[in-house]
Order: sequence, then structure tokens, then C-alpha cells
Amino acid sequence: MRRPETRRLWQRWLAILWLMALVAAGTSATMLPLPAPDAPDLRAITQPPLTPSHWLGTDLAGRDILAGLIFGARTTLLTSVPAALSAALLGTFLGSMAGYWGNSRLRVPAVVTGWLVILGAGASCISLPTPELVWWLGLAVLGGLALWLATRNKYAATWPVPVDKLVLLLIAFLTAIPRLILVLALAAVQEPSQLALLIVLTLTYWPVTAQIARATMQRIRHLSYIEAAYTLGLPNWRIIIGHALPSIWNSIKVTLPLGVAALIGIETTLSFLGVGLPPQTASWGRILATARLDPTAWWLIVFPSTCIVFTMLALRQITFSSQQE
Amino acid sequence: MKQLLFGFLVVMSSVLGACSSPQQKSASPIRIRWERDPENLDPLILPNENALEAANLLYSSLLFVDPSKQQFTPCLAEALPSVQLKDSLTLLTYRIRREAVWDNGKPVLAQDVAFTLKVMNCPGLPIESNQSQWGFIKDIQLDAQDPRRFTLICAGRSPEYKWSSGDYIILPEYPLDPQGQLRPFSLASLRADTAGDRHTPAIKAFVTRYKQAQLDHHPERLPGCGPYVLEAWEPGRYLTFKRKPTWWADALRSEFLPLQAYPQKLDYQIIPDVATAVLALRRGDIDVYPMMPAREFQHLRQDSTNQPALSFYTADSYKMITACFNTKQAIVRDKLTRQALSLLFDVPALIEATQLGMAYPSAGLISPKLGPLYNDSLPLPAYNPTAATALLRQAGWQRQPSGGWSRRSTDGQVQKLALTLSYRTTDPAFETIALQLRTAGSKLGIPVQPQPLESSVFWDRLRSGTVDMYLFTITGNPFVYNFAPILHTQSIGSGNYTGFGTAASDQLIEAIAAEEQPRRQAQLLRRLQRILHEEKPLTVLFFLRSRLAASSRLTNLQVSGLRPGYSATAIQTKSAPVQ
Repeated sequence: MRRPETRRLWQRWLAILWLMALVAAGTSATMLPLPAPDAPDLRAITQPPLTPSHWLGTDLAGRDILAGLIFGARTTLLTSVPAALSAALLGTFLGSMAGYWGNSRLRVPAVVTGWLVILGAGASCISLPTPELVWWLGLAVLGGLALWLATRNKYAATWPVPVDKLVLLLIAFLTAIPRLILVLALAAVQEPSQLALLIVLTLTYWPVTAQIARATMQRIRHLSYIEAAYTLGLPNWRIIIGHALPSIWNSIKVTLPLGVAALIGIETTLSFLGVGLPPQTASWGRILATARLDPTAWWLIVFPSTCIVFTMLALRQITFSSQQE
Repeated sequence: MKQLLFGFLVVMSSVLGACSSPQQKSASPIRIRWERDPENLDPLILPNENALEAANLLYSSLLFVDPSKQQFTPCLAEALPSVQLKDSLTLLTYRIRREAVWDNGKPVLAQDVAFTLKVMNCPGLPIESNQSQWGFIKDIQLDAQDPRRFTLICAGRSPEYKWSSGDYIILPEYPLDPQGQLRPFSLASLRADTAGDRHTPAIKAFVTRYKQAQLDHHPERLPGCGPYVLEAWEPGRYLTFKRKPTWWADALRSEFLPLQAYPQKLDYQIIPDVATAVLALRRGDIDVYPMMPAREFQHLRQDSTNQPALSFYTADSYKMITACFNTKQAIVRDKLTRQALSLLFDVPALIEATQLGMAYPSAGLISPKLGPLYNDSLPLPAYNPTAATALLRQAGWQRQPSGGWSRRSTDGQVQKLALTLSYRTTDPAFETIALQLRTAGSKLGIPVQPQPLESSVFWDRLRSGTVDMYLFTITGNPFVYNFAPILHTQSIGSGNYTGFGTAASDQLIEAIAAEEQPRRQAQLLRRLQRILHEEKPLTVLFFLRSRLAASSRLTNLQVSGLRPGYSATAIQTKSAPVQ
């Protein structure tokens, strides 16, 4: 009987091997002797695997499935992984700001706040119709006046910025709507492109990381070494970057593979639904979608599903291994 | 005694049930698949084929196409109109059948036809589409002696007036204009005064009443004299039509299909997804699946398990898939570039790949099945990259070291040959065509960007002229050869989205519509096909074959190439074998 440690080791190495193969396939896709993934072979439509010149068969438009899988891996690498990384960066930044500054620790001169209010109102006025424009301008003037009066008072020379509340509000707004619906709505209103999809995925996935970063920052902010750094008069940015972020990163990096797995799931779902990526971009989800039109073509379901499931399992395995370590 | 009586009733009801005729069985609804909702049943709008089909169930026309005879037959009219030519006018005299009545029992009169034409020309109402089709009807003269007889006065001369002058649904006057407020106005005055709804109280009041009726979703507020009434409409899900217990045409016992209506209930199920619709057909949840995609049709037909339950029908249709150019865009403004790009479509391979051979190529907009009208001296579309390269050079394009093509326009600006190909996401065939062109283009260094668009966005882009090339489905018919709505310069932006049109082509289109001699019309049509072949505002890739699968218990579907490809009112159920 195999020992549990040995089994876990095997599982981990299998996961690493699969992910390495995925990276190798994605990076070398353009160098391999494969047909273009978007070039239809009209004389070989819906061919089963082991057909000459189409090892894994073709789809309903005559596109090569092997090429589709390998270029689909490239799409995954170029979309889901960067999206997960940028969402992690954005989430870490906003979460740690919220956790560190809270609602009262960050104070800015009232004059600056006044100008920000006026500029914000002015910017929002540009696209407004005349009656609302008058209201907004009136509000901006009143706000500016109130702030000017406030700055005359010594105690109210600086105003607190409720960073935590603002970030929590944004998180609540984004998490209140189911993520898939939010991504679908954003992806549907713009031209399909890989960059646009990356931006949409980043903007909708950062709250996960932000919540972890905020909670971790709130915990470590009261630890003695942070308090000591604060007492010594170190600048806030040095405390955050030099002392707090290394601790936060330990929590974030564990969840990063899970984020990649989740975003692969969202990207393939969007491709399955025919939004997000342009039709000439290969994607595992798109191959799966073609199976809807011909359910008897089992190879259109089996091969992309295997890739998706193995990749997600591998990423999960890596996450669990890191947690156990 | 009570038990005896009860037993007797049970036995009698069982016997009666067993002996009931197959007609009672046909009372079960005929369930038909629709790909999309009709969206709007306002008789003036009818935005799609399904809305048109629904309107033909609710209302009747003077004339209607009999698919079994492939010709127009009288419906509300007693006979085809008598034609009289007078100077530059055509006078068409109709008489409405004595049997034709509205739901309230009042007869359908010439006054109702006059009312319908006035509504179709009433300022303030959405009349643009009707005016482009029936704008040639300039006036109507009612017979003082016979309230059923009237004469339509049409501008110009055309043999097609005989049919097209009666091919619109007739609306009842009594629900919308009970006091006859529109009667004092002539057709000409309504058409001339485009702001009449703003300054004439009677017209204003009528327009308000019409709009308040909200006919787009409440057709029951304007009951027609068709064989059915709308029983239920759940937008995006289903529409149910119920046969009127007595319909005026029942008494005629006519042999013409438009005057027959067999199903007691027609249930249109809106199932946009093809796979779901096929599953519904196999499970028996729907009975008729018209215009089935080729692959599903082939699969079902080859699967022997479906054979007893389903029947399969095909017919050559007049529906074609075309690749159109927006000739207003600088890079495809010249005909040589358009000709070159047209040579990059591999039509035979596309027919095999997308339609599994169930389509046929054509050199132009006329179906090759129409014999002398089709210009068979023109070559069929062929894939020829070498000729395309030569044509591009002739058009002034030069291959760059980077692999692309560019040229200097007349105003000195450098143009690069790169274009988008827009299409609706509804048909998978469009994607295959787009990818084939992209592949062929990339081999020559021409970047082609496929642009799948949601239906409403696609239409917006067409209207605003922001597409380079687009894939489009055009449905024709073998009766009327009026290309003005899609190719005349006056239709640019409203139906002619290619932006094409020259003085010569306009003149030819008008001449074809007005020509009375069939032989001469054939010559003109052949000439138009040659002009279109040379100018290439569009390329006809192929004509589709109509494919329909239906439950084997149904008969008399009247499958034809005319849209919608079958006749719902003619469908009957086969007689069940007597036990």
C-alpha cells in the first residue's frame, strides 16, 4: 500500500508536469508544424480523430482540433494568467490600502478635498443635460464654500479620507452581482479582443484578493513590529512596502493558482457563449461550443474538457501542496 | 337504476370516444418551431418573416400565393383584377367576395380597402416600408353602385401590378375609425401632406387612436378576417393561434390553399437554439421544424431511429447567402477590388461544408432554376487567387515588402487593404464563410477581420454604413422582379446597404419592374445580372435548399421554396387506423 506522502508527491509532480507541458505548448505553438487554428479545411469537416493530417479530428468548420487545443493553451496563458496576476496586484494594492488606512488614518488638507470635489463635479457635469448641470454646479460651489469655511478652523484643516469604506463599497458593488453575469455584460458591450477580455477579467476578479489583503493588513497593522516602525517615524509607504506587503504576499500567493483556475473557467465559459474573444482566436471553450451543433462529435467534447479539467486540477493540487508546506 | 344509468353513460361515452373521427384528433395543436419572436404584430411594421406569417393568419389579403400552384390566387377578391391601361396609368379593378365578412358579421367592403390604403399612407404612422412596396398605388375609386367593387389607380405600367396590388393585408375600418374620419381624405392628399398628423385634427385623432391601440402586442384590438385569432403570446416563448369556429371562407369549399385552414390550433414555439429545437422535435415536443440547418437535417434523416416518427422534405428555395460590399468605403469603392475579393470565396467547398451540398451556386440574384431569366452566359463564382492578385494590381494596389497591400488614393492618402467582414451570429455558416475568406485573404496578404455581431448591432452598423463587407441573406420570389428596395440609389441607407447605384442601373431596375413583355423582361434581367457581375456590389455565394422535418403524423404541409417554406393552415393530421 502506497503511503499518503508518496501519493501526494506523485500528484504534485503530475500537476507540475501537466502545467509545464501546457506552458511549453502555449509558448511553442507558433513554431510547431500545425495548421493555423482559424483556417478551415472545408474538405475535411467534422472528421474524427486519427484522420490523415488531422490527428485529433476537425470541428464543424473544418478547423484542426489539435491546433485549436495548442493555440487554446496559448490563449489561456496570455489571458487567464495575466488577468489573475493583474487582478492580484490591483486587489493587493486596494485591499492593503483599505486595511492600513482604515477610515480615519489618511488625512488630506481640506483644500485638496475641496478641489477634488469641485473637479469631480465639473468632470461629471460635462455629459449632463442643462437642468442637472445647474444642480451639480450649485452643489460644487456650495461644497467648495463649506470647505473654505472649514479650513479657517484650525482643527478642521485636514479631512479624513474613508479609504476602507470606499474600497468596501466597491467590493460590495462588484460582489453583489454574480461574476459571470457582470463579465458577460461588460464583454458584450465592447468589441471582442484579447486585451479587452483581460481588462474585464481583471476589473471583476480583484475583490477576491482585495478582501484577503485587507483582512491580513488589518491583522498585522496592530502587530508590534509595525507599531514600532510607525513610532520610529518611518514613512507610511516604507512601512507598507517594506514590512507589511511581504506578509500579505504570503497569503496572496497561495490563492493565486486558484485565481488562475477560476479565470480559466470564466474565459472558457465566455468563449463557449461566443463572447469575449474574436472568432479567429482559438480557445478551449470555443471548441466545446461547436459540440453543441453536433453532439455526436465526441472529440469536440472530450479533448477540450480534458484540457480544462486537468489544468484546473493541477492548479488546485499546486495550491493545496503550497498550503500543506 | 342510477347505477344502470351511470353504466350506460360510461359505455356510451367510451363508444363515442372510440368512434370519434380523426378530425377530432387534429384538434391537438400543430406545434411549429420559430427561431425568433415576431417582436411586433403591428400590420404597418411586421419586422420579420415570423411576424409576416402571424399576420397572414390573423388577416386576409385580396390575393395570396398558393404554394401548390406557385402563383397568386384570389383570396378576399373574387378573381384576379381586370387590367386597363390609360395613358401612363394602370387601372386594376377588383371585386370582393360576397362571403367575406369581419368577425362582427359585417361584410368586407371596398371602403375597408380604401381605409387600409389610407392607413398605409397616413402621416405620423410607421409607413415607410409600406410606401416603398405599394407606393405605386396612387388612388382608389369606389364603385357607387357596388360597395364591393373598386379600382386601384397605379402609376406607370408593370405586369406585376396585377399581383402586387393585392398582396397586402386588409384592415377593418370599424374598430379604428368607426366614424369614418379618414374617409374625406384622398390617398394623394394624405401622401402629399407629410405633417398632416400635426395640423389636421381628424388625422391627428386617428393617429392617436392607432398608437393607443398598441397593435404591436395587441393585434386582437384590430380583428382581421383571417382564419385565426391570437390566443396567447408569451414574448420569446410561444404564440398560440386558435381557429375561428366559423370562418367566412369555410362556406366556399375552395380548392385554393389560401382559402383553407385545417388546424384547430397553431402553436409556434420560439426556440432560438438549434440543438434544443432538434431535441424538441425528436422528443415530439414540436411537430414542424422549418428551414432546418443542413447538418441537423442530414443527421436526422440518416438516423434510422427517426424514420418512422419523422418525415423529411426539401425544395429549391429563393433564399440566398450573399457577400456584400459597402461601396461607400474607400478601399472597396472600385469594382476591380470588389471583383478581386469576390474571387477569394471557395463557393463549391463552402456549399459542401456549410450546407452539405444542399445548396446551389448562381452567377447572380436570379435563381438558375428560373430558366430563361437566369443569365447562364455568366461564369459561376470560382476560387481564383491568381486572378484576384492580377485584379488587385489593376486596381492600383501594390504588394508591400511587409506582405500587405497599399495604394495611393486620388487625394494623395495611402490606403491599406484590410477590411472587416460583419455578420450576424445566428447562423454558424456565416462564421465558416468568414474564416474561409480570412484564410484565403491571409495567403495573399489581405487581413480580413471577422466581426460577428448581435442582430440589432448588425442592423445598426448597416444603417450607419460602418461596415466594409457583410454577409447577408436575401429572400426572393419567382413573381416580382423589383430590385429597387435593395439596389436602387433611392433606397441607399434604407434597404440598399451596399450603397451601389448608377444612373444606368437605376434605369434598368425601373425598366424591369415596368416591362410587360416576358421575353423583353428576361432580356433586361439578364442585362442587370451582367451589370451586377461586373460591378460586384454583392456576390451571391449560393441559393439554399429549403429543408423541413415534420412529424410523420402530419400531412399536406405544402413544402415549397417560397417563404416560410410550408403552409401552416394546410397542415392536416393523418387518419388514425380504426381499431
